[in-house]
Amino acid sequence: MVHLSSLLLKKYHGGHVVIRLALAGHKQANRPFYRIVAAYNKRARDGRYIEQLGSYDPLPNIYNEKLVSFNFDRLKYWIGCGAHPTKPVAKLLGLAGFFPLHPMTITEAERQRVQTEKTETNTDMCQVTLDNTQVTI
Amino acid sequence: MFQVIGGRSVPAARLLAPRSAVLVEAVRGRKSRTDPVAKSKEGRIKVPPPVDPVEMVVLKERYTEYQLIMSALRLEFKEEVLRKKYEEETGSQAEERVRQEAEEHRSLMAWNNEENLQISFCQEAEEAQRKKIEAAIQREQEQQEFIKEKEREILQLQEEVKNFITVENLDQRIEEALDNPKNYNFAIDKEGRVVKQTALQ
Repeated sequence: MVHLSSLLLKKYHGGHVVIRLALAGHKQANRPFYRIVAAYNKRARDGRYIEQLGSYDPLPNIYNEKLVSFNFDRLKYWIGCGAHPTKPVAKLLGLAGFFPLHPMTITEAERQRVQTEKTETNTDMCQVTLDNTQVTI
Repeated sequence: MFQVIGGRSVPAARLLAPRSAVLVEAVRGRKSRTDPVAKSKEGRIKVPPPVDPVEMVVLKERYTEYQLIMSALRLEFKEEVLRKKYEEETGSQAEERVRQEAEEHRSLMAWNNEENLQISFCQEAEEAQRKKIEAAIQREQEQQEFIKEKEREILQLQEEVKNFITVENLDQRIEEALDNPKNYNFAIDKEGRVVKQTALQ
């Protein structure tokens, strides 16, 4: 990968830039909020980052929405400079449409669908047997 | 994960708390390396989740496609970054910007030089004035000194007048001089002893 951005600041040798979720406001318990951030690989998760590229709120709001924001311009720049996005960031971007849909998102959705169908058929079977027994009675 | 309450161990807390309350305290890393395995976990063999071969094949295909698209995207973004950098340095707008900056610089320098000239003129005028004032002061001082010198000379002369020999004093002074013969001869040796006694009277 071509490291176009010079690794200044803290003199890292052999480190690379990642785009990941950093927990913001971690002094508050039971209320997570993530910042989508470009940082060096070896830095702490919530430590110093190079640039903030967006945010992600995992708890749904009053309209049952989970809000995500991205700065696509700077994101393109960092990926062009050779930054690696992490799995959750890649999944979010896939859902947003910027990246292709992550394979695991599709497989997880399929599994979920199979699960719900199974539980539905189970309940239907239970319902049917109950009706049968009632009829017999 | 929740932290241990006040440093006391979890079983103690469980004893102190009421039995009916459900205490689900999951403390990560409570045991150190040397602690033995719990009795309930003695024969436990950790098994990874089972893999569905059909799903695995489909997943592998999806992953290859995904990685292909991702590498293509990455190359595109890299190209875009490089192009932007190139245009920044050697683009059509870069030359215009350089020219404009040079013109601005020249005009600003010209304005600066004009300001400097004006300031230098003002400074010169001020200096000329100051010099005139100083010259005037100097001249006054010299005049005063001259006057003082003259006064001193006058006083000296006035004192010397008492010793002058005039027409009236002439006879008196001659008689005085004849009455008092003065002997200016003396001898001195190397130690500085003066001897005024001479052969002449």
